[in-house]
Amino acid sequence: MIEMIDIWKTFESHKGGHHTILRGVHGRIRKGDHVGILGRNGSGKSTLMRILSGVENPTRGRIRREMSISWPIGGAYGLLTQVSGASNARFISRLYGTPLQQTQDFVEEFSELGRFYYEPVNTYSSGMVSRLLMGLSFAVDFDCYLVDEALSTGDVRFAAKCRHMLEVRRENAAMILVSHNASHVRQYCDTAAILRNGALEFYEDVDEAISAYQGL
Amino acid sequence: MIGNVPQRQRDGGLAAQLRVLHALVLREMLTRFGQSRVGYLWLVGEPVMLAVGVSSIHWVTGHGLPNGVPVFMFYGLSYAPFFMFRSIVSRNSGAINGNRSLLYHRSIHLHDLTLARTVVEFTAILPVVIGFVLGGMLFAGIFPANPGLFLLAMVLSALLGHGVGTLVAALIVIFEPLERVVHPLTYLMMPLSAAFGMVDSMPPEAQKVLLSIPLAHVNEAMRDAMWGDKIVSHYDLGFVALWVLILNFLGIAALRAVRHRISMAA
Repeated sequence: MIEMIDIWKTFESHKGGHHTILRGVHGRIRKGDHVGILGRNGSGKSTLMRILSGVENPTRGRIRREMSISWPIGGAYGLLTQVSGASNARFISRLYGTPLQQTQDFVEEFSELGRFYYEPVNTYSSGMVSRLLMGLSFAVDFDCYLVDEALSTGDVRFAAKCRHMLEVRRENAAMILVSHNASHVRQYCDTAAILRNGALEFYEDVDEAISAYQGL
Repeated sequence: MIGNVPQRQRDGGLAAQLRVLHALVLREMLTRFGQSRVGYLWLVGEPVMLAVGVSSIHWVTGHGLPNGVPVFMFYGLSYAPFFMFRSIVSRNSGAINGNRSLLYHRSIHLHDLTLARTVVEFTAILPVVIGFVLGGMLFAGIFPANPGLFLLAMVLSALLGHGVGTLVAALIVIFEPLERVVHPLTYLMMPLSAAFGMVDSMPPEAQKVLLSIPLAHVNEAMRDAMWGDKIVSHYDLGFVALWVLILNFLGIAALRAVRHRISMAA
C-alpha cells in the first residue's frame, strides 16, 4: 500500500514569496489498483508525481510506501541518449539487480525497436523513445508503476500491449496514471481521482470522475 | 516471455550499495566516452599526453635534479597524480547538475554520484602511473623505494579530492555561479600542491605555507615512496588523514543538507 498523508508542497517563487501547489493531499493506493489522476495543466500533477516517486520531499505531510514504486514513466528521465537502448537496459539491470541478459532480451522484445535497439537513443523517434521507456520500466518487477502520459505516444497496438502487461501483473502490480486526457484514464484505470485546488478527490467510478472532470 | 519478468535481487546494505556504484561507474564511462572502444583509450590517453608533455618540457629545459633522478620520470610521476586530484575535484563538482534525472531511481543517493566519478578518475590514472613506473624499471633500472606507500598516498590524494569535490558539489546547489570558479581554483592549486617542486628546495617561508596544505604532504609522500633516499621529503600522513576525514564529513553532511533544495522542476 502507498499512503499519502496530508501532503503539502510549496515552492519559493523567484520574485520572492511562495506558491503552494499541493494543499493537503490524502490518498491510498492498494495492491492491484489502477488509479487515474486527472488534472488540468498546472494543477500540480507533475509535482504530485515527483513526490510519489520519492525524488522530491513534500514540504509537509508524509508518504508511507509499503510497495516498491517505479520511476515516473513518461519523460526521458535518466535515459542516456548518446548510447543504445540496449546499453540503457543494461544500466537499469545493474542498478536494480535484475539478470543482465534476461533484462536486455526482455526490453528488446517488449520495445520492438528492431535493429534500432543497438543504435544510439538520440536517433529514435519520440514513439520509439516511449516504447523503450515502457520496456525499461516493465523490465523491473515493481509493485507500482507511475505513468506520466507515456501511454499517449504509442500506437493503438502498442497501447494494447502495455495494457496486457499491466493486466498480467494485476495481482501484484498497481498503476498510477497521471493525465489530463480523460480517454486514457477510461482506457487503463478502474478508479480515478481529480486533482484540483491542491487536493485529491477520489471517485469509485471512472465515468463519474470523468464527467466531474469535464464539468470543471 | 511477456509474463516472464526479470526479478530483482533482494539484497540490502553493502551489496546493494556496491551494485548501485558499479552501475554508475559503467554509466559514467559510457557518458564520457561513448560506445566506441577508442573512448576507453582516451580515458587514459588524456592524462598520458599531459604527463608526457609536461615532463618533456622539463626535460628539454634541463632542470637538474639531485642524485641522478631522471627529469622525465620525476615530472611524469608528479603530474599524473596531480591531474587525478584536479579532475576528481572538477568532475565531482558537476556530478549533481549532470545527473539530476538519475535521482528518480530511488536507490541512487547524491553521494553515489560523486563517488562514481571519483572511482572513474582514480582508475583512469592508475595505469598511467604504473606505465611510468614500469618504464623506469625497464629502461632506467629504477625501482620504486616503497610501492605500498605510493599507492596509499594516491588513495589519500583521491580521497582529499573527493572530499573537496563533494563539498563543492553541494555548495553549487545553493550557489550556482560557484561552478565557474572551480576550474581556475583547481588550476591555481598547482603551485600550492608541491607537485612540481620539492618542499625541501623552497625558502623556509614557502615551506611553512606548503606544509599547511594537506595536498603538498601527499605529493611529498609520493616522491618519498618513489625516490627514497635520493631526495629529502617532508610529510605527515596523519595530518593528511585528518583532513580527509574533515573534508569528507563536511562534504557528505553538506549533501544531506542540500538534498531537499534539489528540484526536478525544469
